[in-house]
Amino acid sequence: MPWQAIARKEIRGLVKPRSIKLGLFLVGFTFTMGGYLLPTAQATPTTTDYTGYMQGAVTLLLPLFGLLLGYKTVVAERESGQLELLLSLPHSRKGTVFGKFVGRTAVLAMVVGLGILSGSALVAYPFGSLEPGVMVGYFLITGLYGMAFVSIGMAISTMTTSSRLATAATFGIFFLFVVLWPELEVPLFLVLDYLGLANGGLPDWALFVRGLEPGMLYDRIIAAFFGQVDRGRYLGPDAPWFLGEWPALVLLGAWTIAPVAIGYRRFRGTDL
Amino acid sequence: MTAIRTENLTKRYGALTAVDRVDLAVEEGEIFGFLGPNGAGKSTLINVLLDFARPTTGSVEVFGIDCQERSVAARERMGVLPEGYAVYGRLTGRQHVQFAMESKGVDGDPMDVLDRVGVAEAADRPAGEYSKGMAQRLVLAMALVGEPELLILDEPTSGLDPNGAKRMREILTEENERGATVFFSSHILEQVESISDRVGIMHDGKLVAVDTIDKLRRTAKNGTKLLISVDDSDDSHLETIEAVDGVQSAWFEDDEDKLGVTCSNDAKMDILVALHERGVDVLDFTTEEPSLEDLFVEYTGGRS
Repeated sequence: MPWQAIARKEIRGLVKPRSIKLGLFLVGFTFTMGGYLLPTAQATPTTTDYTGYMQGAVTLLLPLFGLLLGYKTVVAERESGQLELLLSLPHSRKGTVFGKFVGRTAVLAMVVGLGILSGSALVAYPFGSLEPGVMVGYFLITGLYGMAFVSIGMAISTMTTSSRLATAATFGIFFLFVVLWPELEVPLFLVLDYLGLANGGLPDWALFVRGLEPGMLYDRIIAAFFGQVDRGRYLGPDAPWFLGEWPALVLLGAWTIAPVAIGYRRFRGTDL
Repeated sequence: MTAIRTENLTKRYGALTAVDRVDLAVEEGEIFGFLGPNGAGKSTLINVLLDFARPTTGSVEVFGIDCQERSVAARERMGVLPEGYAVYGRLTGRQHVQFAMESKGVDGDPMDVLDRVGVAEAADRPAGEYSKGMAQRLVLAMALVGEPELLILDEPTSGLDPNGAKRMREILTEENERGATVFFSSHILEQVESISDRVGIMHDGKLVAVDTIDKLRRTAKNGTKLLISVDDSDDSHLETIEAVDGVQSAWFEDDEDKLGVTCSNDAKMDILVALHERGVDVLDFTTEEPSLEDLFVEYTGGRS
């Protein structure tokens, strides 16, 4: 299948640039380091403890690395002319975007998987305990989270025609999602309160919108599945169903597909 | 069967019409040279053929397959050396050819084509270290993978040294003998002349001429230049010659005993006969075929 040829080529070419190498190292190192440090804080750590312990690092690092993997994929090849070479072979544009997405996601999954594996091993040995089910579930959800940012990066890459613009958009997205989003609660409340829509707190629909960002979804899923959290505005007993962890999982899944799909639709119709 | 057929093909970029209502048919099995100055619309037409760009109106077919509707199926029949490409700097030459083979679903040894284009010794070096000429050879190798029925080459000899250009022409001829249709563009005329069965000349987005080079020569207005040595240099000879049908102009060359004439190809004998009837002794005469360059200049209005 032609798209598999593209995925393979992507993987061959990906493990060489310095920025990607550094990113790969950093992600693997962080997961491993977490497994090394956790037992110093807790006498008998478990894999479940590890998932909570890693949260802050993961929600900073994976968006960065996911975007890094995605944002130059198409636009840089388009600018340089590599895309002409690729598309002069019998590849469809759909197969091109899909193959690149699969190739890059595979690299991400590999390093996250290896990182979690070595981190979990360090947590379990010698005094902690290993929960294989938790480890696999954690890997799948964390992988999905990283994939969402590869997808967002590729959406930027397919919709822009200059690398400079793509870089700016990528910084913008990172800043918006990772830096700005957690701070939006108060301004959002003030605006809604001014409009008379807030009744002592954010209404459910506003919580839903605020909770749409991949990092918020990821936090909620990890907290509910592994942290056994059942309190708060999202996961508490009084919260509406659409703020819960299962809809969050579906939405996180949508983040992995929708951006790259929308980007492809734009890319399909344009001249190179 | 027709290898390439464009029907009323137009491509506009804003106010600029890059390709203007072009009807072109390239027959199966021929080597077709696609000529024109830079910016004439050659590359745009090829880009539409490859579905890099979408036509404003009209259509392109390759072996009856619509290049937009069924772009992948069309490109499965082609080997392409596109314009303005870049190689993957981090992949080796061998990996490039491997990628082309995987993409086309072909098995075999990548070294066969690499050897043929003359970059075998650099097969395991990253293509980022290749010179422009080597990269051009590598992409030709990728185009040759899978013995395509149609080779599309946009300025194939650009970046090649004379030896490389010669090898390129040899390969194109070999491919044609194998049965492939070859369609290549160039703004360098000598390269087209030696191997093309037919040529098409693009100018300002329009296809201004399509024919064999011989026929283009014959139909060109200033077809032939004639040099005639006579025994006396009388001004009345000029009038005699200019009275003949098909003569554009006649003059005395600097050394006074030679007459220069530009005329259509058919008029040559008539001129000699007319001079003979007037009792002029023709000592010698030579003809100069117009070069392709002259033809080109004539068809494209002097800009090349």
